[in-house]
Amino acid sequence: MSIMSYNGAAIMAMKGKECVAIAADRRFGIQAQTINTQFDKIFEMGPKLYVGLPGLATDVQTVAQRLKFRLNLYELKENRNIKPKTFLSMVSNLLYSRRFGPYFVEPVIAGLDPKTSEPFIASLDLIGCPMITEDFVVSGTCSEQMYGMCETLYKPDQEPDDLFETISQCLLNAVDRDAVSGWGGVVYIIEKDKVTKRILKGRMD
Amino acid sequence: MAAVEGPMPGFSFENCIRNRHLEKIGHKAPTAYKTGTTIAGIIYKDGVVLGADTRATEDTVVADKNCSKIHYLADNMYCCGAGTAADTEMTTQMISSQLELHKLNTGRKPRVATANRLLKQMLFRYQGHISAALVLGGVDVTGPHLYSIHPHGSTDKLPYVTMGSGSLAAMATFEDRFKPNMEKDEAMKLVRDAIAAGIFNDLGSGSNVDICVITKDKVEYLRPFDEANIKGKREGNYGYKRGSTAVVSTEVKKIPFEVVATQVVSGTEAMDTA
Amino acid sequence: MASIMTSNYQPAVSAVSTGTLSQPDWLTSELSTGTTIAAVEFDGGVIIGADSRTTSGAYIANRVTDKLTKVTDYIYCCRSGSAADTQAVADIVNYHLNFYKMEMGEEPLVKTAASVFRTLCYNNRDSLSAGILVAGWDKRNGGQVYTIPLGGMWTRMPVAIGGSGSTYLYGYADANYKPGMTKDECLKFIANAISLAINRDGSSGGVIRLACITKDGVERHVLTGDQLPKFYEDS
Repeated sequence: MSIMSYNGAAIMAMKGKECVAIAADRRFGIQAQTINTQFDKIFEMGPKLYVGLPGLATDVQTVAQRLKFRLNLYELKENRNIKPKTFLSMVSNLLYSRRFGPYFVEPVIAGLDPKTSEPFIASLDLIGCPMITEDFVVSGTCSEQMYGMCETLYKPDQEPDDLFETISQCLLNAVDRDAVSGWGGVVYIIEKDKVTKRILKGRMD
Repeated sequence: MAAVEGPMPGFSFENCIRNRHLEKIGHKAPTAYKTGTTIAGIIYKDGVVLGADTRATEDTVVADKNCSKIHYLADNMYCCGAGTAADTEMTTQMISSQLELHKLNTGRKPRVATANRLLKQMLFRYQGHISAALVLGGVDVTGPHLYSIHPHGSTDKLPYVTMGSGSLAAMATFEDRFKPNMEKDEAMKLVRDAIAAGIFNDLGSGSNVDICVITKDKVEYLRPFDEANIKGKREGNYGYKRGSTAVVSTEVKKIPFEVVATQVVSGTEAMDTA
Repeated sequence: MASIMTSNYQPAVSAVSTGTLSQPDWLTSELSTGTTIAAVEFDGGVIIGADSRTTSGAYIANRVTDKLTKVTDYIYCCRSGSAADTQAVADIVNYHLNFYKMEMGEEPLVKTAASVFRTLCYNNRDSLSAGILVAGWDKRNGGQVYTIPLGGMWTRMPVAIGGSGSTYLYGYADANYKPGMTKDECLKFIANAISLAINRDGSSGGVIRLACITKDGVERHVLTGDQLPKFYEDS
């Protein structure tokens, strides 16, 4: 079994009209044994910037803390909020510095530009290859299911409420075909003036 | 103090022992993004034409349908990358930064031979562990140049080159139709057809054709140059109605406005105009 | 579920993916100049020759390679083995000898060049795969050929052959080399040798590149496919 499916995770992000969404499942398990069903895999990196970290849970938390540390240094030095694209480079550099002994995480980034509120989503592989897209990104143990759901349900320029339905259904239906992720979900809808966090009801088996 | 130190330069090997242990007890390490790619370049009458497909794969999954494989090195130089996507991306970024510093130090436009030397020496130093197979093209004071650079650090200087898993299909096209001193349109058509041969005959290559034409005083970066595969229009609507998803709880966090400047205007006192 | 996967889906994928989506061999296999190279001394200079094939597994990565690599104006090397290793070594020697020439104000001896090559090949013998012939002219000893095989050994030879194709040539070289051959006889000798090796060795091929190094500098020749010396089996 791949080390990426040791704990199980499913994370995706989508672009909407002047908004972005990022969603994750809530399970933390050790192989087939579920330990926790309120586990955080999405981390706030700024008022309008979030990062989702699927993968080996120990690395998820280590990487989240290391990123937060680098981000704090950046914000102290620059005295401004980081742009999502700059943050992507930061993640990329952290992961690539471990090119020959990687952290087992494949991050997903979603956010709005702090000045222009331009939507931005991106994902990286475990050694930090950045991938910026215009529609959606997925990462985790059921990425094939998530790709399938997103390819059919995604439409460009959705309003925040419609984007919420789309990303929620993509996530919930994808994790239902994965044994090691699911147990409910969480969705963040990031808009210019507010961030809405919703806990989803999902199958608990 | 360690607490406020920034990141150390260079690679870190702190996870290696742990990862080797995990692999030994049966947890396979995942694969990184590969660009099972078709990239190619030719020299024509006035310069260089570079081409690439736009598919990135992670094992058998198409990870990115429209990724950019023609990387910027300098104003007069671009570099196509195949192999592990992170390696091609980071390698070209590092060399690009070195070339920019070289340009500022010398006050001259960097030469393609310089970029080639930097790339081959870096790849040789890592003994093939950095899996970057590159096609380097550019125009400098000595004219147009085209190199292919292999992951172990060997380079070839040729009038037409291909790289990646689709390189055989693309090379077949070149061997059939390449001739020296072609016109620009003819050259672009040939590169397009070579990349298209990779897209349609190699499973690791797909989606669109990107092309970059470099001449003495101009660069044309055409992305996409040609959409070899167009997704069909969807007639129906699969959208969910609002309220379809069961929600357990909702939490709204208002984002406070950023205060850019504050000005206090007191309206009661009359302005002193005396 | 699993049985459906293995009976239908898996065979189709594994059959298709062996060539393409599994690790492609251009990523894993190092480029090698599976080569034929040869060099011979004559009175007043040397003749060197090589085929032009660079392979990556079964694929010919370059069919017009120049394996006769310049080190100084009067010294060349013939490269065989890993393309990356031999290019790197040749680049380093080129740098050292340029530096030497600037400091000393004169052309380095062929022996000096060969010694620098030998030092690099010997000190890094566990990580390099490079078989190099160093050939050139200097005013003290005239035309000289030095051979540096895999482990970093070093010796002067009046005639030397190297690369994978050389196994087919030992008998030819022993039978046909005569001390005191003229320049033209030497050119013919080397061209015939490379041509014979190309015919027998799968990893040698392409064109024949020849060079003659004398006190007047370097004179280069290329024999394309239609100009290769022919023997009985080609007719």
